[in-house]
Amino acid sequence: MTLPKHVYKILEDIVGARNISDDLAVLDSYRYSLAHTAIHLGPYYNTFTPRGAAVLLPGSTEEVQAIVKLCNQFKIKFKASSTFWSAQGYPSEDNTIQLDMRRMDNILEIDEKNMFAVIEPGVIGATLQAEAMKVGLNAHIPGSGCSCSILATATSYFGSGPSNLYGGWNYENLLGAEWVMPTGDIFKIGSLGSDCGWFCGEGPGPSMKGIARGFLGAKGAMGVFTKCAIKLFAWPGPKTLPVEGTVPAYRSVLPENFKAYTVAFPSWKAWADAVHMIWDTGIGYLAHRQFNMFGRDLKYAMVKILTDPTKTLGDLEELLKDPEVQKVTQDSMRDFQIVLVGMTPRDIAWQEKGFDEILAQTGGWKVEAMNTPEIRNWALLYLIRLGHKNLNLVFGGSYDGCFGLLGAVDFGTTHVEEAGMFKRDWEMHGAIVQAGGDCTMGPIGGQGGGGTGLWENFTCFDPSDQESVAGTLEFFDAATRYGLEKGWGVGMEKWNSQNRGPDGKTTPKEERDRIHLAAPQPNVFRYQNKVREIFNPNNLGDAYYETLDV
Amino acid sequence: MALEDFAAEMDRCSQCSYCKWIPYDQVKSWRFSKNCPSIAYHNFNSYSARGRYAVARSLINGQSGYSDAVREIVFTCLTCGSCDVSCKVCRYNLEPLEMVRELKTRLVDDGQCLPEHQAIINSLNKESNTMGSPRSERGRWADELDLPHLPQDSAEVLFHAGCRFSYDKELQKSARTAVSTLRKAGVNIGILAEHEMCCGGRIYSMGYRDEFTRLAKANIAAWAKAGVKLVVTSCSDCYHAFKRLYPKLGSQIKVFHTVEYIDLLIQEGRLKFQHEIPLSVTFHDPCHLGRQGEPYIPWEGAEKKIKGQIVVYEPQKPRYNGAWGIYDAPRNVLKHLPGVELVEMERIREYSWCCGAGGGVREAYPEFSQWTAMERLTEARSTGAGALVTACPWCERNFLDALKTTGNTMKVYDIVDLVQEAL
Repeated sequence: MTLPKHVYKILEDIVGARNISDDLAVLDSYRYSLAHTAIHLGPYYNTFTPRGAAVLLPGSTEEVQAIVKLCNQFKIKFKASSTFWSAQGYPSEDNTIQLDMRRMDNILEIDEKNMFAVIEPGVIGATLQAEAMKVGLNAHIPGSGCSCSILATATSYFGSGPSNLYGGWNYENLLGAEWVMPTGDIFKIGSLGSDCGWFCGEGPGPSMKGIARGFLGAKGAMGVFTKCAIKLFAWPGPKTLPVEGTVPAYRSVLPENFKAYTVAFPSWKAWADAVHMIWDTGIGYLAHRQFNMFGRDLKYAMVKILTDPTKTLGDLEELLKDPEVQKVTQDSMRDFQIVLVGMTPRDIAWQEKGFDEILAQTGGWKVEAMNTPEIRNWALLYLIRLGHKNLNLVFGGSYDGCFGLLGAVDFGTTHVEEAGMFKRDWEMHGAIVQAGGDCTMGPIGGQGGGGTGLWENFTCFDPSDQESVAGTLEFFDAATRYGLEKGWGVGMEKWNSQNRGPDGKTTPKEERDRIHLAAPQPNVFRYQNKVREIFNPNNLGDAYYETLDV
Repeated sequence: MALEDFAAEMDRCSQCSYCKWIPYDQVKSWRFSKNCPSIAYHNFNSYSARGRYAVARSLINGQSGYSDAVREIVFTCLTCGSCDVSCKVCRYNLEPLEMVRELKTRLVDDGQCLPEHQAIINSLNKESNTMGSPRSERGRWADELDLPHLPQDSAEVLFHAGCRFSYDKELQKSARTAVSTLRKAGVNIGILAEHEMCCGGRIYSMGYRDEFTRLAKANIAAWAKAGVKLVVTSCSDCYHAFKRLYPKLGSQIKVFHTVEYIDLLIQEGRLKFQHEIPLSVTFHDPCHLGRQGEPYIPWEGAEKKIKGQIVVYEPQKPRYNGAWGIYDAPRNVLKHLPGVELVEMERIREYSWCCGAGGGVREAYPEFSQWTAMERLTEARSTGAGALVTACPWCERNFLDALKTTGNTMKVYDIVDLVQEAL
């Protein structure tokens, strides 16, 4: 469906002719495949998010405001996205205007003294980190990687990632924010609202983070965030990451106050104990079970490929026959990666000593094959910049997380093996990659420096292969049933099924109501419905902001 | 391959937008972090590799049709290959550069050509060059050099000037310098003069596959007739065509870019430098010498799956991701020039920013092309260097034209000009 000509003309006057399009091919480049990643509801073969009515590239808050006011006048739904990594940023219904925020990509300020940056939506993790490092600071990069909008993770999602341990989650790191509300009015959140600057998200000034984003964020369904301040943290390293090596096996040799290790443990209990001890001692800059995303059976062979520019996926089978690879694979079954960063030589010495003591007490060990200079320096760069997250899709072109054992590490570690074995059986059906069942990965730490770990079990498949997609869906349905049966709850594989349905459009209300009424705390969604009625009276967002009116 | 052969890739594209940025590990600043001029200038998703995958899928599935927007989306791709490098930092089973070339060819085959490109094709059909100049004047640039003219004369090495050096009077001194330098080192070198034809590389990148094949076969035949075993060229576009495209048509000729040959001569002690050049320079890696200058490896095979759903190829497919392009040779040469200090830009080697001249963009979208060149000049200036050095006449021409429009005072050199000055 296209916009009425007079509406299109007004929009064109707002953003300029070169920043609006309703060409069908252009619109089709703003549709997301439901046979793809980060959907958390399918996958569904050859199904796409709805085609928008027009795509607009606003260049300023004023333009965004004018667009949103016009949308209210003509009751047109709109959806903003900055870097389009996930289906969440795409329209859920026909006749929606897609706002692509990439023109608003300025780092407006880096306040070195007060350790924050003021950014626009199009600023990605890589550029913010690069600029922050020049003044001795670093930015927390979300698990989706440094290709993603930092503002989006802070204002509209929860922004978890490997550096949770030291750098917090971006929902916590959100300070002052400028919000074009669904009505088109501009609201300045936190200290910004009382003209006190950007330094605080709560006040002095209106503390509206809870309304504007809550915990999970409104995912673009409640207006448009046009600027925000984000907390930065200390970077005691070089002003620019020194990068060497041949593409794609880039690596970084950092000073002695940087250490990267892959460690493994004799049992999941020992794994969890070590994580608790890390939190208790307060050591560590970044900790993540990252490379296990390739699968327990494949991860070391994959690391060998990724760190050798002459190798390809075609070398995988041969590598898996190598006895050294098999031994390392076996030794690193229950592993994670950790980066220790000392602010002083004494600090790093103490952290190393403390970490060695933790390994001694838990029976853990450093996986020496992963700690050779070439692999260690590759891992160090990988984890700090998080610029290889497209490896999530390296095998067949698509992945999604399942199970999602979100919670205390004792919860996750108790069930990770069983979940992995369940998946391992399904891998043998052929629809998903045979990786060893346990492809569980995720950050170690969060929510105040502790608390959570072991997140999602990666499931890789081929989005162009109908049987692979159908088989993956079948597995995800089985995983959901298994998770419920075991009392683990619904896994990540269905997280968004109450927002978007198999046709790519908003889940029917009856189904949404059923899911929300079955939730442990349905009143949360009733409360959000009240918020929606007041702040978004024309209901111009979509169901990613979850509400319940019964 | 047909566009439909890329259908699986269209589905497998991660939609991650890595194709819009230099490899993230290499990002040193906000200002110089983007890699693809097309999306950087036009901003809509459709102007990126991920967007072009989506546009291609939309077209082959009949969900959309040709329009002015589609033509612009397709033909504003410089085919510089920067998206290809960034994509392949993580992906081993996508070929975005190959896909967009196929997309251009589909548009051309379907008659969706641009008049500016058609003018080039007309010139090629009539005069065998892209410059609209008489074929009979193709060898005039070398009139004062008294070079052997093949095939009537013989020479160990053929120097292929290419269209730009043959007819661009401001630049052709660099071709003369290249030949003189090689002769000074004892290289027995000749030219085909009016028998030389366009390499076809530029029209290949515009989507004119048949015309390219005709030219390539004609050049290969001319070389065979003249008994040529080794071709040297100072044009990176020609170098890429000869090195990467011609072997698919049976060519087994050995190819050197002039800068590679000079590097070799320096290493062998056959070129010695005597004069100091007190100059700080920065080097622009031409796309077709750098990331697209990797050796050709023949491959015929098919996709297969291992471990259930891991996509690989039988036999193993060569991986062109910019890793093995020509980056060190020009830097080695510059480091040997007395007094010359090389300062690097932020975007170099496989993740270099394009000059803006490729893919038919210079001819069809001059404003965008000049903007792209200006971006590079701004980056060059930010290094503090007094000169930008490159190794391709198309890059040099685009930079010089951009300088003229802005009054930017940076000097632009072909690398052989500095070599000559130092000898």
